Amino acid sequence: MNQPDMETSGTKVETGWRDKDGFVGPMQPGFGPRSDPRGDFPTGPEIGTAMPNVICNTADETNFDLDQDRNGRPAIFIFYRSAVW
Amino acid sequence: MQRQIQIFEDKNIPVYTLSYDEADALRDFRDAHKITYPLLSDPDSKVIESFGILNTLIKEDDHPWYGIPYPGTYVVDASGTITHKFFDSNLAVRVGPEQLLSAALGESVEIAERTEAESSEQVEFDVYVKGENLTSTVQRNLVAQFRVPKGKHVYAEPAPEGTRAVNIELDEIEGLVPRDVIRPSAESHKLAGTDETFGVHHDIFELAIPLTVNNAAGEEIRVSGSIVWQSCDDEVCDIPVSHPFEITLPVAAAPAVALGSKKGTALEPNAMAHFVKMTERRK
Repeated sequence: MNQPDMETSGTKVETGWRDKDGFVGPMQPGFGPRSDPRGDFPTGPEIGTAMPNVICNTADETNFDLDQDRNGRPAIFIFYRSAVW
Repeated sequence: MQRQIQIFEDKNIPVYTLSYDEADALRDFRDAHKITYPLLSDPDSKVIESFGILNTLIKEDDHPWYGIPYPGTYVVDASGTITHKFFDSNLAVRVGPEQLLSAALGESVEIAERTEAESSEQVEFDVYVKGENLTSTVQRNLVAQFRVPKGKHVYAEPAPEGTRAVNIELDEIEGLVPRDVIRPSAESHKLAGTDETFGVHHDIFELAIPLTVNNAAGEEIRVSGSIVWQSCDDEVCDIPVSHPFEITLPVAAAPAVALGSKKGTALEPNAMAHFVKMTERRK
């Protein structure tokens, strides 16, 4: 997929910047964490395909293997922006 | 998510979350919020990149923002096949636990609040919201469940010229952030005596609209609009029906974030230190 367009619509308000959906945040849409796409954007593997395995570290810095941990169970896998901000 | 995690655990559906945070930041977040589900650390965004969901609109030298994904969620069945995925173009908006549970179970969850059953001469419907409230940034589905009498159908989208497709039409409401209507797959229906085929729905089916609220919402919100459809049998179509509905729901505050945007709003004592660290490490 080509690079998505950037959503830059926003209005300066007393408490920050209001985006196209009416959410107010400290940063202007189109900058930093508010670099949201406009229109189509990549959403990874398609429905109906196999979930790629995920190998990484846990919060406790132990090894994690999604296939092993899931062990044949249905599951929810969430990609968050950040736990810090 | 933590407040609803027991429901997923009871169904033996593990919930995993991954972000580009360092492990120590995740530990502080976990401890501060008493999180029991796995928090996975991808500080170099390798997993995020391998899924093809790295937010490439953020420049590589824009720290600490570079490295985040387009946030999203995958629902996987027992065989490891992706059955649903939820992505929204707005970083602030996220799928709600009720939507995830419905997707994971492949069935409707318990209805928390619903209107009195509405009926017309032919098609019956209920309108309800799957959830107890609307929470800023968290989506919940407004659902219209239709029951179509045997021998009848309603037109799916796109409807033939001059007819109406079944739909949920929301009024414009300050504070409400709706997304597009989610529709089931239509069945192909051949018009008797012709070669024309149209998409239709039979029996019982649901349309849904993901909803959340923004900063303009008050302590409660009135969600109103119309349910429209046109039903037909093999020979004749009834006139289109537009039936108003209205549901009032309490509005809950957005989930707290670790690092508040104003001085004194940080919920975790180490949030700013982690923010500085993640910025410096990436430079």
